[in-house]
Amino acid sequence: MAEVSLIYLVDGATGEAVEAELRDAIKAAQLVDWQTKWQPALITVLQELDRRGVPVGQWPQSWHWDWRKKTAAVQGLLAFRGFCVVAAGVTQGLAQVDLTKGAREAGQVGKPLVYVDYLEVAPWNRPDLGQQLRFRGVGTALLSAVVALSEAEGFKGRIGLHSLPQADRFYRDRCGMTDLGPDAAYQGLRYFEMTPDQAQAFLKEEE
Amino acid sequence: MKLERRKEWWIDRARREGDAVVGAGLVARDPAPESRSLAAGEETRIAFGRFVHLMRRRQGYSMEQLAERADLEPSELLVIEDDVHYVPGPRTVYKLAETFEVPQQRLMQLAGLAAANDAGLAREAVRFAARSESIEKLTAEESAALEVFVAVLSEWDPKRMK
Repeated sequence: MAEVSLIYLVDGATGEAVEAELRDAIKAAQLVDWQTKWQPALITVLQELDRRGVPVGQWPQSWHWDWRKKTAAVQGLLAFRGFCVVAAGVTQGLAQVDLTKGAREAGQVGKPLVYVDYLEVAPWNRPDLGQQLRFRGVGTALLSAVVALSEAEGFKGRIGLHSLPQADRFYRDRCGMTDLGPDAAYQGLRYFEMTPDQAQAFLKEEE
Repeated sequence: MKLERRKEWWIDRARREGDAVVGAGLVARDPAPESRSLAAGEETRIAFGRFVHLMRRRQGYSMEQLAERADLEPSELLVIEDDVHYVPGPRTVYKLAETFEVPQQRLMQLAGLAAANDAGLAREAVRFAARSESIEKLTAEESAALEVFVAVLSEWDPKRMK
């Protein structure tokens, strides 16, 4: 049974606070939302870009229609430890974590951390797709859960992740994480880590 | 694991996120990059192949059985289901429309043999293709997607066969 925490997001249109749930598990309902709501929403964006005649090279990332790999990967999430954010009855964000990896940052090498295998927010919560944002704060909420898990596991808040290209600035500037540069083993995605000090600042900031 | 923070804390954090994009891991990337973009007609042909595949399975035919029923070559059915570059001949599409009891003209458009005069069919075709997967048994969702798509094909053809 998933443990549920009450959290708050911000409505992208009104700026008002909205109640949401942060759950410490991913269940079948989340995969159904991904398949039946997230995926069609992404397709709609693609078609709009196509309709406007935007060249493929200028789309948020390179897209094509082989959804099978991604679908299989998302369906595999049930087997791992993860988090989700649910608001308005719909899954707004998903994260999967791995507790078996060690830190790379110079001062923390080899120490245990929570590695974020996967973190994604629903298409309608992505500002890079040129639509009105539905909710703000989903990604931050998921990241907060990961840092809290690291503390609960005795990892002192250490976390690691490979950032999507458009998210680099968020991890570096707004989360204060250490940028360890592009990782050739992960298609050149930049690898970021949060040290115990950075984790403390991240969780306590603005309290 | 329970996370307890004040309401103001969450709101402040959400506002600070602003218009930043948040995502991590290879799975979070949008569907894998490919060197080419879709050629004209490929979107609907993906749906055409998926449609034939699901209708065949729903009616309980093997590829050979469908080939026999529709008087087509099994090898052609194989490429129709698996290769978006393949453009089937008019007779093939006619036979499939007849076998599946769906409007011929719409199926021609889906297969890329006739131009659709509205964007609606392409939109519905892509939606259908994205919602269905080629797995052994039709899931409830696939069946539902198929039903809706058959209805769309039928609705938009004034000379519906059904």
